[in-house]
Amino acid sequence: MGRSLKALTLLILSLVSPSGSTQVFLIAHESAEIASLTRNEARLFFTMRLKNWPNGTLTKVYVLNDNHELHRRFANEILGLYPYQLRRVWDRQLFSGTGQIPITVTNEQEMLDRLQSTPGAVGYLSHKIEHSALRVIEVQ
Amino acid sequence: MSRRVLTIGLAIGLTPPLTHAFELADGRLHIHGFASQTVVHSSANRYFGNSPSTSFDFTELGLNASYQIDPRLLLGGQVLSRRAGEMYDGTPSLDYALIDFTPIADAERRAGLRIGRIKNPIGLYNETRDVPFTRPGIFLPQAIYFDKIRNLLLSYDGLMFYGDLFKDNGNLSLALGAGRSVIDENVEWILFGTDFDGDLKAEGPNWTIGSLWYATPAETFKIGLSALMTEMSFDAGPASPVAPGSIDISDWVLSVQYNAERWTLSSEYARTPTRWKDFGPFFPFEKQTAESYYLQGAYRLRPNLEIMTRYEEGFADRTDRSGRNSSDLTGGLVPPFDFFTKIWTLGLRWDINPHTMLRLEYQRHDGTYALSIRENPDPNSLVREWDVFAASISFRF
Repeated sequence: MGRSLKALTLLILSLVSPSGSTQVFLIAHESAEIASLTRNEARLFFTMRLKNWPNGTLTKVYVLNDNHELHRRFANEILGLYPYQLRRVWDRQLFSGTGQIPITVTNEQEMLDRLQSTPGAVGYLSHKIEHSALRVIEVQ
Repeated sequence: MSRRVLTIGLAIGLTPPLTHAFELADGRLHIHGFASQTVVHSSANRYFGNSPSTSFDFTELGLNASYQIDPRLLLGGQVLSRRAGEMYDGTPSLDYALIDFTPIADAERRAGLRIGRIKNPIGLYNETRDVPFTRPGIFLPQAIYFDKIRNLLLSYDGLMFYGDLFKDNGNLSLALGAGRSVIDENVEWILFGTDFDGDLKAEGPNWTIGSLWYATPAETFKIGLSALMTEMSFDAGPASPVAPGSIDISDWVLSVQYNAERWTLSSEYARTPTRWKDFGPFFPFEKQTAESYYLQGAYRLRPNLEIMTRYEEGFADRTDRSGRNSSDLTGGLVPPFDFFTKIWTLGLRWDINPHTMLRLEYQRHDGTYALSIRENPDPNSLVREWDVFAASISFRF
């Protein structure tokens, strides 16, 4: 009985949870000149409280819509935050004049285009793209 | 009527092409805005307009721009138009306009200075209180964020120092500011209960504010204390029954919040000691400490669908929770229930898409302390127990 319940639970979980194969990687333009970030640093960049890379380049942050599956995965898995928390921090800065907010792109293709064409850009993708202008940043 | 239709039409018309915020000047210049229309119906008492016969007089529009000159220097400003019953007529006003200089910023700390018109960082919501998307409901907890004296709490002209420490076990944020308050007629109405002949004004720098927050790294838990102190003087006109005096106000708010995937629990407690000095024998009050608190829970059924419930209480004088002594001081002219408020709120928020939000709200009120005296000048027509139904639609880009 206990075992079949467990099997049923696993079955339901596998049905309701999105395919576990979708991954998410933090991607930055090569001009950022970094290889890794701590989770706290990644949070500071994506909440727009840190505005430049260690070499002084201005950071340009790109995100997908709050309800986009990849955005949720990025917020949860890489930043350890829920999308509503990011939105709340951004809105407080945006509507009190104390900071800017990331630029929202419509889909992953636009994200890729912006990342590779914008010096200082940082965002995320579901694949490790091989491109001379882009770096996959490890988040520890 | 035509103005309302125009506003909504404008908002809907503008929304599709503006689903992206403007980013100009190589992505350094950002322009954003919002528009919101609320309809309010109450069983009695005027709340954001003539609500007993359904009011549409609650319209909010905002437009802001920010320019990141370099990583250390940010310019920002916002213009607001707010129509709220008899309290605000929609005249555009400068909400904030500031230069933010951040000489120190790395992964461990940040420190900077803001100069200009600065929003008051009081409690969880004051800085963005006029932006529907950032409020926990259609109406803020009135016991703490009085809409009737919104302008006094809104912003000040001056300086603000801020500092953050980012540690593995959490973040600490401090803000300290000083300057001059922004005073309007609503402030006179609430502090005097009427609009006496004369002007309330600030003599020199009269505003100091501070806040200290601690949050766990992912902001699962946060706690903050914010406080302000101000003094205003009253220049009595020839027809004023009260003498030229001054008013000292302090306000401090203790805030806590817990954030989980589906739950957000928030609570705030505030005290506001007020002292009226040298107003002569015809003004009944000398010293009072208002007290208020609320408990609020929000539950996300889905990431874009949230239900919220809140209970709040506020008292004009914490030593007179029934309002009887205060009522006696007015010779019984003002009923005791005008000195307290107890409100149950039930709300629904639906973010139809990232640019459009729909809200429904019900409130059950006991007491009329949250009401604007300006909207309800006759104490005899106040009703102690009353209900509010409200719906709003809001757009942003």
